[in-house]
Amino acid sequence: MRVHYHICHECDEICKISTPGRPGRYKCPNCGAKLYTYKPGMVEKLYAYNLAALFLFIIANYFPFLSFHVAGSSSHANFATSIFYLYQDEQWMMATAILLTTIVVPLFRILLYCVLFGSLYHGYLPRYATQMLKMLENLLPWGMLDVLFLGILVSIVKLVKMGTIIPGTSLWAFMLMVLILAAAQSIFDPHQVWERIGDRKRLERERATA
Amino acid sequence: MRAIERGLTNCAVCHAIVKVPIQSAKEAAYCPRCDSEVYLRKPDAVQKTWAFLLASIVFYIPANILPMMHVITFAGTESDTIMSGVLYFIDTGAYLIAFVIFTASIFVPILKILILIYLLVSVQKGSCLHRKRRKKLYMLTEIIGRWSMVDVYVVGTMVALVHFGGLTEITPGMGANFFLLVVIMTMLSAMSFDPKLIWDNTKECNAKQ
Repeated sequence: MRVHYHICHECDEICKISTPGRPGRYKCPNCGAKLYTYKPGMVEKLYAYNLAALFLFIIANYFPFLSFHVAGSSSHANFATSIFYLYQDEQWMMATAILLTTIVVPLFRILLYCVLFGSLYHGYLPRYATQMLKMLENLLPWGMLDVLFLGILVSIVKLVKMGTIIPGTSLWAFMLMVLILAAAQSIFDPHQVWERIGDRKRLERERATA
Repeated sequence: MRAIERGLTNCAVCHAIVKVPIQSAKEAAYCPRCDSEVYLRKPDAVQKTWAFLLASIVFYIPANILPMMHVITFAGTESDTIMSGVLYFIDTGAYLIAFVIFTASIFVPILKILILIYLLVSVQKGSCLHRKRRKKLYMLTEIIGRWSMVDVYVVGTMVALVHFGGLTEITPGMGANFFLLVVIMTMLSAMSFDPKLIWDNTKECNAKQ
């Protein structure tokens, strides 16, 4: 039986794990922080979730997500509209921040997941897997789709008094996407992938020396 | 057994266990698995956290005083600050929304700033009290940090929807920009703090008991 050692990210305790192959949540015995979760089938599930999220992302960005009618005139907004108007009003900082946190980072993240877990699913390790995982780790806190969702709900309530609001196709797609991404994030655990990368590097090194 | 006593640490990116030359907390080693730089502790964690934190406190003041958005209608221009928005919702009876906005844009940033000040001061004093609870507080700041962006998104959505060319329009105010900066600064501040510092005085604490 292989024994794994982990160093707790929160309190620096060396934790010994005697059953690394058993599915479940592993916690630090000293401070109770989550060390990692092991669930079999993570790669397949993440590939599936993120493919679904990618389609929903395209739908959410293509169709208008809200229509707003007031006194005879109406306006439709899709995702990029707010960014467009903000640039027009010369609010560079806000526009760039919203563009990055709601479109660029989430899309990039979904694509990276798809490429990474897609190729793992089809049985090989992608060449830039290390760089991809590094990037995912750094991007994680800056994707804020779930926060945007709350923001949209609040602004719907704010606008209800001013006129008629009709939710569009993309709002439903967006809702579903946020749920799917949350589900994907809850099972994501990079340890298995890193271990495979480590094994391959060791193999390559052995080949090079032999 | 703590890892620092053996000169070990884990790579922040790939979680591999890496040996760092023990005398040099500021010198980097390289992770054999992912080639990123690895330190025993995040370099200059306390100073960086203080710097970002002070910046966020400075930005917090104009974020609350300046208007978040201007509503232009036939009747004239109305400007909304965060607090006036909350009061408006309380007046109209939308208590849930008032609660959400109050929590996300006033309560959470202040809570986060206070927690980080407490963590920094207690680490600098080498306090042994409530270490488990302090670790939980740190995890809380990491989780709740992003949610203060809500108000920026609200402004963005309103700007996009209410855009009828001159007559009825919503434009963002300067407060929204400062609010964005507050969120970014508090996030950076929480990221540059190293929770392992809370536990670094374990030996002295055990000796005291």
